[in-house]
Amino acid sequence: MQTIDLDQAATTALDPQVREAMEPWLGARAGNPSSRHRRGVAAADAVDRARAQVARAVGARTEDVVFTSGGTEADNLAVLGLARARATRGRELVIGPTEHAAVRAAAEALESEGFTVSHARTDTAGALDLDHLGGLLGEKTVLVAQMLVSNEFGSVYPTAPLARLVHARAPSAAVHVDAVQALGKLELSIGELGADSLALSAHKVHGPQGVGALVLAPDTRLRPLVFGGGQQGGRRPGTENVAGVVGFGRAVELAEALRAETWEQLTQLRARFSAGLARLDGARLLELGAQTMPGICTVLFAGVPAEVRLHHLDERGVAVSVGSACQANDADLSPSAAAVGLDADASRRMLRFSFSRHTTTDEIDHALAALEAVGEELGSLGG
Amino acid sequence: MTGAAAIGAPEMVLVRYGELALKGKNRGAFEQALVRNIEAATRLIAPVRVERRRGRMAVFGERRVSDVARRLQDVFGIKSLSPAWGCAVAPEAIAELAARVLADALADFPPEGPITFRVASSRAEKRFPLSSMELDRFIAERVLPDHPRLKVRLERPELSLGIDVRPERAYVFVRRLPGPGGLPVSTLGRGMCLLSGGIDSPVAAWLAMKRGCRVAFVSFHSPPYIGERSRKKIRDLVGILARYQPTSRLYVAPFTEVQTTIRDRAPQPYRTVLYRRMMQRIATRLARREKCGALITGESLGQVASQTLENLTCIEAATDLPVLRPLVTFDKEEAIDLARRIGTFEVSTRPEPDCCTVFMPEHPVLRGNLAACEEAEAALEVEVLVDRAVRASEKLEIASDV
Repeated sequence: MQTIDLDQAATTALDPQVREAMEPWLGARAGNPSSRHRRGVAAADAVDRARAQVARAVGARTEDVVFTSGGTEADNLAVLGLARARATRGRELVIGPTEHAAVRAAAEALESEGFTVSHARTDTAGALDLDHLGGLLGEKTVLVAQMLVSNEFGSVYPTAPLARLVHARAPSAAVHVDAVQALGKLELSIGELGADSLALSAHKVHGPQGVGALVLAPDTRLRPLVFGGGQQGGRRPGTENVAGVVGFGRAVELAEALRAETWEQLTQLRARFSAGLARLDGARLLELGAQTMPGICTVLFAGVPAEVRLHHLDERGVAVSVGSACQANDADLSPSAAAVGLDADASRRMLRFSFSRHTTTDEIDHALAALEAVGEELGSLGG
Repeated sequence: MTGAAAIGAPEMVLVRYGELALKGKNRGAFEQALVRNIEAATRLIAPVRVERRRGRMAVFGERRVSDVARRLQDVFGIKSLSPAWGCAVAPEAIAELAARVLADALADFPPEGPITFRVASSRAEKRFPLSSMELDRFIAERVLPDHPRLKVRLERPELSLGIDVRPERAYVFVRRLPGPGGLPVSTLGRGMCLLSGGIDSPVAAWLAMKRGCRVAFVSFHSPPYIGERSRKKIRDLVGILARYQPTSRLYVAPFTEVQTTIRDRAPQPYRTVLYRRMMQRIATRLARREKCGALITGESLGQVASQTLENLTCIEAATDLPVLRPLVTFDKEEAIDLARRIGTFEVSTRPEPDCCTVFMPEHPVLRGNLAACEEAEAALEVEVLVDRAVRASEKLEIASDV
């Protein structure tokens, strides 16, 4: 049975062109970019080209791209590295209402170093509450982290006005933007977003798993998390994952070239999915905030817990997720769900369907048919 | 929450160029060069359309206009620039847009205290119902009541709200970003820069570009005494400098034979001066090929042993081209500050050897004399060595990464 993967916000399949770009660096051309011979220098050039590809996609300078092991490390490096570099000026952090666990847990880890963490919130319409945020900012605020697109709800949070507010009210603060789910969907410009750092991940845009980047605004001070041979200007030492970053560079280049059509395709898929859901009993597509990234559809179902529905769909070859896959084992209510006003009961009956440019209308139709069949099956059990 | 007034991305970038306007009958050529350089600089960001307007240019981008604006801060000849938002040519529409642009710009100021302010309109559309002064007043009366902190001052205000009324559309702008000044690259001829991998020569190239020179590069390489990472360092430096001119041509000239010959046949104290004379000869030949009217070096008086007035005289005598030394009176700290601003400092300070460090004399001559140089060179077959190095030079085209 072929799987219909509607869990594309969790990961995406490697694009064949990305694989092709990576292959020489896994085999015939493998070299350590720090080596002094020609083979090593060729690898260093390949890393630099990938760095330029990533930089161009987000309007940054090549030298301000720091490759990491993925989005989680990029978020960790930003939260810990930016806050610690500013600790002499204050120890107050503010994080967004629906941040990824990689940001939230890193901020909590700083509490043991004397930092305090405040949480921003959304207004009743699901948009960022900037008036409330303004009240959390002050001279001692050193970091504000706000994601651009929610991995759980697809909500787009405009960070530019937030960054303006932060830079005016909290002159010591850096603004970190987790753009993992925005890459390849929204036009990203670190300057336009007002961000001091931007977290990206390769495997969300048909690149390899285990590669990401933290992109910095020029002259942003950052404390490293790991120590070693001084690679990447000492900001993230360790031998670079050459094949991985080459794949990341190519994946980003492709995603950026296809961005407008991808958005259009995702919009059409969402419309088709939404129309199909409307014909089912007890399913409601969530729309939070002013704008939603169309590739993430969060649906509230009446009846059985989401976990049960997920496995029934899986039996029929449809892979979906409960909330964010990265915290799928967490039995507690997602703090994000609470932040956008969902109660524990609602959040336990919520499934996330997510699409990428590889998703087809046929897959949407099959998934809708599976949903209908599962609904009847579960309904007949009195769920 | 006035700071949150959303205005979206700007529509165009208004570019001001100071010195160009003074250049009399060359002005047309200068403006054409600036347009070409703007198009080249933004090539990797978005396609742009440049409109020339009396003493200014309007740069329209298909997308990423904020990134285009930041990129233009690296284009020589530009004095300042402003991202601008557009609206219909009607007083009401302009007032409404002006209020939003102003609220957005106010977010950059500390939350309290007075800010001096003025409106400055210009009007290319003469059928517009209000004169410039009337429009200034109309807009001021509309925006001031919402912002009690703004105090009108016509001379040197902290915040100037610009309005440009065109026949097809009106534009509003506030922020003024500095450009790098100087003259458009390519308007003052070409130069060949001798690039060493140190801090100074990239800065010298950049300063020559600033005054309108298009710069080609030559670097000397001594394999197998010097490795591939030294070559990469040079390529990376040229790549960063390529951010400031459309593309860069780099010649990598083999220098091992020259150095071993001098080591074997010339007096040791003169080695460094003789290396440099040979470099100037090779660079001069390549300069002619590239139609370059001058050599450019990072030499600074007294900075190292080879850079005494006497030694500079000996070195310069090996070329008949003028030698531009933009850093000749710079302190090291001044060169470092500029290298940081240009973006070459991090690369220049990578600890890679260059050919100057090969076979260094123990006691280099401090005050060389030309007759001694010429006498030493009589034993060297200078023309043959130069010819071989020129012919074996590798030519690379290096484009900007941004």
